Amino acid sequence: MKRIAVVTTIYKYLSHAQHMADRFLVGYPHEGRWHKPDMQIVSLYVDQKPVGDQSQARATEFGFKVYPTIAEALRCGTDKLAVDAVLIIGEHGDYPKNELGQVLYPRHEFFRQCVEVFDQDGRAAPVYNDKHLSYSFEKAKWMLDQGKRLKFPILAGSSLPVTWRLPDIEIPLGSQIDEALMVGVGGSDPMDYHALEAMQCMIERRKGGETGVKSVQLLEGEAAWNAPYSKELLIAALSRSDTPKGLTEKDGRTQNLVASGELRKLVPKPAAYLIERNDGLKTTLLMLNGAVQDYTFAAKVRGKGTMSTQFLLTPVPNVTYSACLVSKIEEMFSTGRAPYPAARTLIVSGMLESCLQSKAKGSQLLATPHLSVRYNAPTKSQHAQR
Amino acid sequence: MQLSRRELLSAAALPWAPSRPKIAAIITEYRKHSHGQHIVDRFLEGYGWDGEHHHPAMDLVSLYVDQRPNGDLTPDRAARFPGMKVYPTIAEALTAGTSKLAVDGVMLVGEHGRYDRNEKGQTKYPRYEFFKEIVKVFESSNRVVPIFNDKHLSWNWDWAKEMYDTSRRMKFPLMAGSSLPVTWRTPSLEFPTGARVEEAMCVCYGGVDSYDFHGLETIQGMVERRKGGESGVEWVQAYRGDEFWAAYKEKVWPTELVEAALCRSHTLVPAREGFNNIFPTVDDMKRIVKAPVAYRYKHSDGLMSTMILMSGLIRDFNFSARLTGQRDLFSTQMYLPMPDGRTTLANFFSPLVYNAEMMYLTGKETYPLERTLLTTGLTAAGVESLHIGQKRFSTPHLNIRYQATKESTFWRS
Repeated sequence: MKRIAVVTTIYKYLSHAQHMADRFLVGYPHEGRWHKPDMQIVSLYVDQKPVGDQSQARATEFGFKVYPTIAEALRCGTDKLAVDAVLIIGEHGDYPKNELGQVLYPRHEFFRQCVEVFDQDGRAAPVYNDKHLSYSFEKAKWMLDQGKRLKFPILAGSSLPVTWRLPDIEIPLGSQIDEALMVGVGGSDPMDYHALEAMQCMIERRKGGETGVKSVQLLEGEAAWNAPYSKELLIAALSRSDTPKGLTEKDGRTQNLVASGELRKLVPKPAAYLIERNDGLKTTLLMLNGAVQDYTFAAKVRGKGTMSTQFLLTPVPNVTYSACLVSKIEEMFSTGRAPYPAARTLIVSGMLESCLQSKAKGSQLLATPHLSVRYNAPTKSQHAQR
Repeated sequence: MQLSRRELLSAAALPWAPSRPKIAAIITEYRKHSHGQHIVDRFLEGYGWDGEHHHPAMDLVSLYVDQRPNGDLTPDRAARFPGMKVYPTIAEALTAGTSKLAVDGVMLVGEHGRYDRNEKGQTKYPRYEFFKEIVKVFESSNRVVPIFNDKHLSWNWDWAKEMYDTSRRMKFPLMAGSSLPVTWRTPSLEFPTGARVEEAMCVCYGGVDSYDFHGLETIQGMVERRKGGESGVEWVQAYRGDEFWAAYKEKVWPTELVEAALCRSHTLVPAREGFNNIFPTVDDMKRIVKAPVAYRYKHSDGLMSTMILMSGLIRDFNFSARLTGQRDLFSTQMYLPMPDGRTTLANFFSPLVYNAEMMYLTGKETYPLERTLLTTGLTAAGVESLHIGQKRFSTPHLNIRYQATKESTFWRS
């Protein structure tokens, strides 16, 4: 039975660590069964213990130990690496923000301490890193480089790429994509990250694969409305929403928010993240707080017309989308192969950082030669389909 | 279920399908989140469909609203859509104030509003009464047009059967039913056509003579695709309260099917504090579900189906089945984006309205009326079984045989 170390910021109800690590303890719904992973959490490191901390209660109930350092958690109190996989969840907890508004979650720091153990003990284990690799592209890149150097698989990222889609579509591998647009909501930087990764998992399937990001620009306010994205794609994406606000909340009516002009009234602070790729593809994330509450996507795909879908974020508290993600983590822990490339998460980590830099510099267009991350999408669809 | 261009063009030649049909809506009330609002608004305002904001290729020109409670939206909609006239009677709505039928299709929504309940707990929604009024106009005008009837045909079996018989005798298309058979599924799976099935189940929530109908439609929209098609139902036995748990313990229905269905839920109430998604034991279920209900019924070809309401434990509709020769159980969720705090739009009405539109355009029912006739009868039979003290209720009248459409009609696009 594989042995897992959990390295996390906090472990309390509805934190990422709770709903993800718990699935290894009590199982989770998967393909119509309650699936219990054939692996065991043997050690836990928690960085902070806020009110409501569950770490010791879980350890007592499920027979593992909480260690005071990451190295001890990975070695389970011995002098050698004593686990077969590491689950890093650096989300939630009380951490400062930098001048770009990014929460400085210590994911890189946690990862570095794991790598130190791998180096010292002459053995490495697969690592899952929740959400983006780091707030800093440079640090994120270093993390993936360590995986290559020590030959251990890394999986990272958000639940959005692997959750249910309404409708259940996939862009055919090798398609010519002429433009793509994503609509997201929520704060920056947590939620824009999810939206960017959702868009990335769709467009990486284009002809030639991902070629890297040429430039980014983050526009706000009026400039965001006037940004050069297709209004048709915006209508298509919003047609997939189940949560339009305003008049729908007032009296239940359906709305074409774009055609009626209501969209502008509902969104006081729109933001457009314009991301141009090295192969010329133009992609846009619109953060439309106030208009909707869900995550939708549309793209012009040659030979297919406009393809659009909603990434279904199932309700709290079950958040069953995280079960979709845990099944991918379990797959990597069990096979030693990441079902989809962490390069996706790397490029998204980098484009988010650069977009926030553009914002800090008064919406300047920024060339991003450092984001020439090339990779190919997995041939097999990875989202929930069965 | 997309109509080809050729089918649409040929549809235009049908007597009831002029290039832009006129539709009358006959509804009980027009209030925020009433079925009348969900459905009529989609004709007036359009709705998200196939990646566009779709406007039906028809005009909703007349409206009859039976009750005007607080929050009545009729004046607002009439003012904003002057092409739609509000009439004081059903006959006038259908004739647009003339002496003859003046519309090409009718939408009948007899759900919500204040109507009496009978001693069995059935709300006496006036669908049959509305239907009779509509048919009177058909008869006096010597012309018939398609009718879509939201939900079951009537709470009263004899009336439901009469509605069915009338439509067949007078040869007009009639569709009815719930959104459940046509909404999204997670996963997006169709019941394999021609499969042999031993046991089928829906685990859902809600009350008797209400969401039980949706649960029955969930099952029927799937099992009608089995080998031989639907064969009718011989008896229904309902369980509630202690009898439900006793039957659960005795495995009157296969508990592994309950578990499979619950594993498709997105809304499973955590059985333990501090856990967000944990599978309940039977004791947990007993604690969480205060008023469970089951309708177990035998189809004439031997298939056993069970519809289970577990309010308190979940808030979604989950289907499971044991197919002959398959090691794994078949299961999916019929996904309703429910505006109970989860969403703002009840978009499961979109595929329902789209299917009605296709009928108005082509004059063809896109799925069989017999499905809803059977589920109407099953709902009434479940209520009856509860009413007579949870005894088995024989249903020789539900000897309803039919075949499913070859094409899938659930929302996939």
